[in-house]
Amino acid sequence: MQHKFQNWSIYNLGDHALVFALAPIIDVSILQKLKHLHALIESKKINGILDIIPSYHTLTIVYDIPIFLSPTQNVNDQLQLFSTQLLSEFENKILTQNKNEATIHQVPVCYENIFALDIENISKTKQISCQSIIQIHTSKQYDVYSIGFLPGFTYMGLVDEQLKIARHNKPRNEVAAGSVGIAGLQTGIYPTNCPGGWQIIGKTPLKIFDPHPDKLAKFKVGDRVQFYSISKSVFDSLNEYL
Amino acid sequence: MSIKILHKGLADSIQDKGRYGFQHLGIQPNGCMDILSASLANHILQNDTDTPVIELYFPSSQIQFLEDGIICITGANFVPVINEKSIALHTAVAVQKNDVLSMLQPLEGSIAYVAINAAYATPKWLNSHSFNDARLKTAQVLPFSMHQSNALHTVQTLHENLNHAFIEQVHNNLFSNTTPIRILPGPAWQDVNENALFELINTPFTISSQRNRMGYPLTGPKLNLNIPNAYLSSAVTRGTLQLLPSGDIIVLMADHQTIGGYANLGQIILVDLPRFAQMKTGISFKFNVTNLETAQTLFRTMYAPF
Repeated sequence: MQHKFQNWSIYNLGDHALVFALAPIIDVSILQKLKHLHALIESKKINGILDIIPSYHTLTIVYDIPIFLSPTQNVNDQLQLFSTQLLSEFENKILTQNKNEATIHQVPVCYENIFALDIENISKTKQISCQSIIQIHTSKQYDVYSIGFLPGFTYMGLVDEQLKIARHNKPRNEVAAGSVGIAGLQTGIYPTNCPGGWQIIGKTPLKIFDPHPDKLAKFKVGDRVQFYSISKSVFDSLNEYL
Repeated sequence: MSIKILHKGLADSIQDKGRYGFQHLGIQPNGCMDILSASLANHILQNDTDTPVIELYFPSSQIQFLEDGIICITGANFVPVINEKSIALHTAVAVQKNDVLSMLQPLEGSIAYVAINAAYATPKWLNSHSFNDARLKTAQVLPFSMHQSNALHTVQTLHENLNHAFIEQVHNNLFSNTTPIRILPGPAWQDVNENALFELINTPFTISSQRNRMGYPLTGPKLNLNIPNAYLSSAVTRGTLQLLPSGDIIVLMADHQTIGGYANLGQIILVDLPRFAQMKTGISFKFNVTNLETAQTLFRTMYAPF
């Protein structure tokens, strides 16, 4: 099954997932729509939905076949009816919703060389002072477009064109948890010590992923993040990784 | 009935059906690679189907039972022996305190499961006992404890309840190497040229030795995209065929990341994933395209008895 509903494309992902897709661009209005659709589906508490996964321009529903669908009706008809009804309700509702509400997180980052492994190099390559890099990186709020790669790894955008830089050709064997990086027009935070190829410009003392079931990921897709610069001594006083 | 790992195996772990409901936070589902075999082992012991089992690769862990109990082994045939005496697969087997289970040789399949008629007595994390990269270690003790429902069964009563026809049906599903692995086309299907699609369906592939619980890389023809590989990351599932920029395919397995930015060629249907997981490295197989209706009907039929 693959069909259209207004600006939406709806298609199957294998035999137990359904994707709601908008135009394949990084755009905050698309992000907001997906966030609201996610909330609408969640509010319905539909039996058999295992996961709802937003990322950039898609929202994917993973479902348990025998619970989500009836064996006596045509599968494609059921999925088409489900998605059409859902999107009709959604498109009628969205007119009355406040489209710009988002949780804003203030995130301290120490951009000093001890953590900012690549900042000097970016400064040389781009002919921008380290101070300007920090100023540019902290000058706007970033939207969280996706979470993945690792539990809690946060993909944010868009970074100012002046800071656009490719990933390292060869990833580092280990990037420290809390490291803040840039890749293309995206900025991200590493949740745990792991291999990684992003250009590292600082480190936050905050834990962005905590396995405690009441905590888990600090950010959700659709949230906003505002970085602000802190010194090493402030970092030490806020450090949650001790 | 607690157990002790006397010698650790290649990549063994405790697994259940995994966790859903947290992928939007980047938390992987994990769970058994071959859910069919794991479910069958629990079914034979009349355990709850989500009871954790031990997932074994070859060379396998050597396991000592610290109390009397009943176990069942399913999945790959690694020629299991208890104290050097061979035991049968797909049936309830009594073990006694200090008995040692070893696996001698990888005769058929790639992953064996050991179920125990006891409850795994450690806390879950987010509704599951499956974790990323939690391999069993030498000298590790896994606490299983008997509860009343386990004590109701004896090896005899469990034998009487065996459904031999169903067990044979599961075995055939898992180890029939002549049936193609069935897929449904994914969003990047239209971005690959027709010649490459022809190759995908008509040329044999093999699973590379670089396989692990995250993914199985394939060896086969190189496939190319018609367009630049510049997809925005979106959700993937187990069984997703990712086309890498090199032209190679990797199939995502139980420990897959929640999202992926590579070209998504398609998904192996759920009912064929256990068979794919069990395939040995280097054995040729082909893909075939099926449809959603068929895939779901096959799934419902296979899993109805659980």
